[in-house]
Amino acid sequence: MAPPAQSHRSPSPSQPSGKGEVSDLKTQLRQLAGSRAPGTDDTKRDLFKKVISYMTIGIDVSSVFSEMVMCSATSDIVLKKMCYLYVGNYAKHNPDLALLTINFLQRDCKDEDPMIRGLALRSLCSLGVANLVEYLVGPLGNGLKDGNSYVRMVAAVGVLKLYHLSASTCLDADFPPLLKQLMLKDKDAQVVANCLTSLQEIWSLEASTSEEAARERETLLSKPVVYYFLNRMKEFSEWAQCIVLELVSKYVPMDTEEIFDIMNLLEDRLHHANGAVVLATIKVFLHMTLSMTDVHQQVYERIKAPLLTLVSSGSPEQSYAVLSHLHLLVMRAPYIFSSDYKHFYCQYNEPFYVKKLKLEMLTAVANESNTYEIVTELCEYVANVDIPMARESIRAVGKIALQQYDVNAIVDRLLQFLEMEKEHVTAETLVLVKDLLRKYPQWSHDCIAVVGNISSKNVQEPKAKAALIWMLGEYAQDMQDSPYILEGLVENWDEEDSAEVRLHLLTAVVKCFLRRAPETQKALGDALAAGVTDFHQDVHDRAFLYYRLLKYDVSVAERIVNPPKQAVSVFADTQSSEMKDRIFDEFNSLSVVYQKPSYMFTDKEHRGPFAFSEELGNLSIGTEPSDAAVAAQRVEANDKDLLLGTSEKEEGHGYGSNGSAYSAPSYNASTTAGASQAHFDLVSIDQPSTVHPPVSFAIDDLLGLGMPSAPSSVPSTLQLNAKASIDANAFQQKWRQQPISLSQETSIDPRGVAGMMNPQALPQHMQGHSINCIASGGQAPKFKFFFFAQKEDGSSAYLVECIINSSSCKVQLKIKADEQATSQAFSELFQSALSKFGSA
Amino acid sequence: MLQCIFLLSDSGEVLLEKQLTGHRVDRAICDWLWDQILTQGESLKLVPVIASPTHYLFQVVREGITFLACTQVEMPPLMAIEFLCRVADVLSNYLDGLNEDVIKDNFVIVYELLDEMIDNGFPLTTEPNILREMLAPPNIVSKVLSIVTGSTSNVSNTLPGATASCVPWRKTDLKHATNEVYVDLVEEMDATINRDGNLVKCEIYGEVQVNSNLSGLPDLTLSFANPSIFNDVSFHPCVRLRPWEANQILSFVPPDGQFTLMSYRVMKLKSTPIYSIDNIAVQFRLPPCVASSDLSSNYGAVNVLVDKTCSWTIGRMPKDKAPSMSGTLVLETGMERLHVFPTFQVGFRIMGVALSGLKIDKLDLKNPLSRPHKGFRALTRGGEFQVRS
Repeated sequence: MAPPAQSHRSPSPSQPSGKGEVSDLKTQLRQLAGSRAPGTDDTKRDLFKKVISYMTIGIDVSSVFSEMVMCSATSDIVLKKMCYLYVGNYAKHNPDLALLTINFLQRDCKDEDPMIRGLALRSLCSLGVANLVEYLVGPLGNGLKDGNSYVRMVAAVGVLKLYHLSASTCLDADFPPLLKQLMLKDKDAQVVANCLTSLQEIWSLEASTSEEAARERETLLSKPVVYYFLNRMKEFSEWAQCIVLELVSKYVPMDTEEIFDIMNLLEDRLHHANGAVVLATIKVFLHMTLSMTDVHQQVYERIKAPLLTLVSSGSPEQSYAVLSHLHLLVMRAPYIFSSDYKHFYCQYNEPFYVKKLKLEMLTAVANESNTYEIVTELCEYVANVDIPMARESIRAVGKIALQQYDVNAIVDRLLQFLEMEKEHVTAETLVLVKDLLRKYPQWSHDCIAVVGNISSKNVQEPKAKAALIWMLGEYAQDMQDSPYILEGLVENWDEEDSAEVRLHLLTAVVKCFLRRAPETQKALGDALAAGVTDFHQDVHDRAFLYYRLLKYDVSVAERIVNPPKQAVSVFADTQSSEMKDRIFDEFNSLSVVYQKPSYMFTDKEHRGPFAFSEELGNLSIGTEPSDAAVAAQRVEANDKDLLLGTSEKEEGHGYGSNGSAYSAPSYNASTTAGASQAHFDLVSIDQPSTVHPPVSFAIDDLLGLGMPSAPSSVPSTLQLNAKASIDANAFQQKWRQQPISLSQETSIDPRGVAGMMNPQALPQHMQGHSINCIASGGQAPKFKFFFFAQKEDGSSAYLVECIINSSSCKVQLKIKADEQATSQAFSELFQSALSKFGSA
Repeated sequence: MLQCIFLLSDSGEVLLEKQLTGHRVDRAICDWLWDQILTQGESLKLVPVIASPTHYLFQVVREGITFLACTQVEMPPLMAIEFLCRVADVLSNYLDGLNEDVIKDNFVIVYELLDEMIDNGFPLTTEPNILREMLAPPNIVSKVLSIVTGSTSNVSNTLPGATASCVPWRKTDLKHATNEVYVDLVEEMDATINRDGNLVKCEIYGEVQVNSNLSGLPDLTLSFANPSIFNDVSFHPCVRLRPWEANQILSFVPPDGQFTLMSYRVMKLKSTPIYSIDNIAVQFRLPPCVASSDLSSNYGAVNVLVDKTCSWTIGRMPKDKAPSMSGTLVLETGMERLHVFPTFQVGFRIMGVALSGLKIDKLDLKNPLSRPHKGFRALTRGGEFQVRS
């Protein structure tokens, strides 16, 4: 869990360098230690302040530890607080010195002032020194029984701190049952809430090893306990309400009557000034009504106004968090905000992160009735001074166009963008026009007329250039100058840095040649000549492919490169519906902001002894490149080694004009000649710079093999290399780059599931079958493993993601392989190894 | 839950570090964040919830101070952000504003406040009234008081009575020499107007702000003449929701001092007679392609800054003429016409009027010891009021 490897900022010249001043302080403190003269406290206070201020700016003042402790004998509460703060900061790393503090902290725990008792107890529990835990038990026990609620409140949290230091000490002292008593009896609501948070955490962590704890955890969700909390709801502080509401959202009511009772009771929470309370309440409402379709719809109606208030009344940071949730809701029920679209109009002064989410909302709520107005508003932003905003707005317009609402008006607007003569607007629009043409070929005449007027010199961005070139090739017969523009582009081949553009150029020239041979002959010759000497593997391979195809038979080439195209009806969605459901289940959590279920990114601490490596924890971020939360992209942008190869980083942002938008499922599925061409075309566009040449794929496809899935063609005597190894980084990179060759569901022997108790058991077992575990994680009932194996001769590596559900005994496998033809054989081998787990 | 809170200056210096759990968060995380901020350009552009390689970070920026919280476990993001906003509010309230110096000068009180606001990563209380009972703010009054009384501590010797009372936002035995309560309607108008003069969107966000200095345990009811205009409302925890739901009456035991009783949204505006608009100011940014400008107005002052921000202060609307601004803009060489047009941000203030048309009917005190003095005011300000060109 190393923090980013960066040096500490060196102290600025105005700050003390440390040593001299610290030793001065030490002497001064020592002189004061025994003094009882009047005014001592004031002097002490100044010195303590100095010490704390050094500590705050990052200077190590641990050397005055014993002096601080000596000076701690005081009745001044501010002095005490500073002393507690100091001790809390340094005790963990100076356990020997920490022992010195026990005495005065324990004494303070018996002070007559409840505030001092509480503060001392809090400090005592926060020392974080494992071998001092025995000193905590007594004061904690007294604290839980203290007459003052402040002390009990501190003690309730203190128990959790003790548990994290030494679970056994905490359990042996029988603190959890004591907490439970307090939770159900205490008059002070904050004490009750603190007991709840502590118990939830302790019992959840204990549940995997202790049946009793698992039962206790269940009782927290039982009707009497939940009702007890609900009835005291109004006594709780707003923060405690959030915690209680989270608990309630997990409660499963017996019948609809109960659901209505709970919702009636909680309805006023929707008017709470604290947005966190409102969102927690909404979660309860949504979850309880999931199976009651009509009521669920009414809930959407009910929560609309409070959500819109939260968006418009809070700070930008609050708006951001709320908008993320609105986005999730609107994906499930687009109509709920369709008449409130004006709430998502962007304000001039809003930060970009808010505007971006608002644009996403606008695209999501667009329907037949409001599209015209929304697009008009978006056009305002396109003319905006702010370039990123203009780009995002154009993408938003394009997205709406692809949703099939009022396309006429939109195409006109898009074409107007091209006439604005702003480079960024033109670039962004070209990419969109290309996507539009793939879906609405009937617009080609209108579009081509305008696109033909664009000088290719004004288009510099690779994505835009590629789009323009694609159109030049695809609509060669309609664009008079097409061969000549292409010829000009081929002449500048050497200056073209982007391999993607060169790939497109090759294809476009060939397409153009097939339609207007005489005019394109020169360009074709030049392009193929440049292509076969290109240093980029993909470009080189594609040039050869075309060359040989054309040489073999032009009519075959025609069929393959230029078949009649079907319009794309639906572009692939970036998120599976299963994923969306999972995120919805985790409403009011980070998952919503990151747009991924939390198992993909959190809980590193709780992942157990052989946790995901940091890198693998982030692994999944790279798997759906487009449309991911900005947050994720930020990580992508910074951890190039961890997450993204350079090719995707260039254009990893924003809307799915890259990879994912192309890989329409309808293409992959069919194996007719036409479609496989399309697939070929697409694959090479998508993955211009992956390590393995995509052309080899393409050829597989061209030969009509499709994705190899017939096990019979492969001998089942697949031998694995027993010494195969790979480091986590390489694994991750490979995992990201390769497509899934096999996705299967199977089951596991229940006896095997029992073996999952020991987290090392399965990896050890699989290792016996030459399959190595790279990373693992999860908690019952859901465990996730990444495995790696290699073919005996080293020719193919196999990467496996294996998700085991220990309650249903179901196993989901995703296998990626270098040599796709053997993946079925490998899968069989893997499953047979897995089936032996627990039976041996 | 939250594992650590940092306060950073606008140059990225760590002003304060408060570890909240046994898991220690290294302050190197701040360097990582600062590198992000530097590479992203303006710090304000950085998203409030981000994933660092080791932690999930929440940040809220107020007056140049970044409030940063770290966690490694799943938690409601809005809870973390709300909490940081409250921390910023409380500190600003305690220290009479927020800036680097004021935090450095008062770091002890900041630590003390954080200690009471959050324990082990779970927020406890952020209610200013309760905190004030536990820790007196370091203002001049309390300094004078401490000199006079000889007490050297800003910590009250008693624990807040409120923690045990059934109205946690108020202590039980308050005494005021002057019994008074003031109610202000403060509204902000957000509007977007197109270049053709059409209203694209318009909405009013309003707050009912109460300043209560009442002795004992006062029970108040406030009613409006036209509560049906609200599109949505949210309330301070002291408001009892049943009377509101039944009769749209606000019934509450107020906290002591200034607080926001209620906030609301109104979308349909009725025309309200406007007497005087004040503090009118227009702000806009000249497009980047403008090389130089010479702007003047027949009323008020025009000021163009180096970053091409232009502000036109009009003040009160003159009776005898319509203010207008004119002048010439010189475009950069090679530009024939203006490609982008600025958006004008308009600020204004209307005293005595709540533009939503909201009217207070009456304010009653149920258990008066003596008749309190009651005062009502209203004010509307321009919020995000923008005119496109």
